[in-house]
Amino acid sequence: MHVFQLLTTAQGIWIWIGALLTLFIFSFLFGDNPLYKFAEHLYVGLSVGYMIAIYYWNFFKPDLIDPLFGQGRIILLIPALLGICYFAVFIQKASWAVRIPMGFVLGWGSGVAIPAILQANIIKQIQGSLFTTQMLARWDTIVWNIIILVGVITTVVYFFFSREQKGVFKTISNIGIVYIMIGFGASFGYTVMARVSLLLGRLQFLLRDWLGVIQY
Amino acid sequence: MRLGEALSKIDRRIVFAFMALVVIVPFFLPLGILGRVSRPAQQVFDAVEELDPNEGPLLMSVDFDPQSMPELYPMLTSVLRHAFARDVRVVLMGLWVTGVGLGEQALNEVAPEYDKVYGEDYVYLGWKPGFAAVVLGMGKSIPETFPTDHYGTPLESLPMMQGIRNFNQVPFAISLSAGDPGALTLWIPYVQSRFGQKLGAGMTAVSAADAYPYLQSGQLTGMLGGMKGAAEYEYLVQQAGYSTAAMPAVQAMDSQSMAHLAIILLILLGNIGFVLTRKRRQ
Repeated sequence: MHVFQLLTTAQGIWIWIGALLTLFIFSFLFGDNPLYKFAEHLYVGLSVGYMIAIYYWNFFKPDLIDPLFGQGRIILLIPALLGICYFAVFIQKASWAVRIPMGFVLGWGSGVAIPAILQANIIKQIQGSLFTTQMLARWDTIVWNIIILVGVITTVVYFFFSREQKGVFKTISNIGIVYIMIGFGASFGYTVMARVSLLLGRLQFLLRDWLGVIQY
Repeated sequence: MRLGEALSKIDRRIVFAFMALVVIVPFFLPLGILGRVSRPAQQVFDAVEELDPNEGPLLMSVDFDPQSMPELYPMLTSVLRHAFARDVRVVLMGLWVTGVGLGEQALNEVAPEYDKVYGEDYVYLGWKPGFAAVVLGMGKSIPETFPTDHYGTPLESLPMMQGIRNFNQVPFAISLSAGDPGALTLWIPYVQSRFGQKLGAGMTAVSAADAYPYLQSGQLTGMLGGMKGAAEYEYLVQQAGYSTAAMPAVQAMDSQSMAHLAIILLILLGNIGFVLTRKRRQ
């Protein structure tokens, strides 16, 4: 049988380990248990170990150790020292030093992020909600753009809390609620698909790779 | 026990067993449910189809980890098949440290199917920390941001990378993202908006709904949403005659559809139970 033949190859043994760990995780459906805890802890430990190895080989070695010690690029001592300052948080008397790299990262991050986010998420999105010549090209795009424009305005009105929502204001706000509910519904439907997809991925692994009872 | 109470108190293990049955049976009795190919998926396919093999490479970013494999890995392999079948060169990279192995695995799986040679037809840049700093750096200079590829080979020694300085030489980029950093949080604000890079995205279904406004505004050229998006792309690639490989996402769509029907049924039953119980109390 396929499932037992796997035990004769190195790759097959890994498939067995993967299958057993998958079943350990699925056992949580019937309640917390030591097998689930074992698989969970193993996953966390392996992930951290893997990340440390990748950080070293893809970053520390080619970008810091090799150029610093191999090519003598001493300028790299500055970012290295900034990085080391992060560990000052573990020493009470020197914990102030952590503010230096954090200030640098926050300053750089804000400077880079604010214009980028403003451009991508506000200006371009406003442009996308307004009528343009391209949007007026066909009757169906005109209809969809009217629907979108109404949705944007009514939803924004719903989140306008500086005035009591009554009369026409309330009617517009209620239309906004309909749009918001449609948005939530779409998100929920997609989320269901995402979660079922994860289950299907594991089932394909168990049924095909491990048990060998289905093919693609 | 009355019907309303019975419906409200179905043992969760019965629900789990029911769901397991609903998703497993279609693997043995395929129904062939895929539905139509959505416009955003077709747009990604068309964008790859329009790439000229003699021009710059297709840039793909593996911005996911093994947790999102069922949704995003089939997208990665089917886009790779599409590009390789058309002799379009591919530059692969990643912004998720735990996704590094997945990019390598996909290239090792797909490249031999088309006799593609590393360094001439495709390059794996690997992963670098820094997220925004990485993509902004690539906009200025790819060789300075990635002096070496994933295997430590200097980029200038790879024939395929000759003349590729920054995003100006990249006609199309695709981010396959499972969250942050990904298409919505990084590639659109820092790459598309700043450098005008033509950009497509493959998203996990959880974040697909959030991506539609970017399609409307034209910031995204196309999008593959969740496992359905992956199935659509697999289908398009096979329909075009570019691949005869297995289609895991297409196979799973039957179970996916049945699971959705089952969940709708459970929601209805739960609500009927709730309404009946409330009426009885009143």
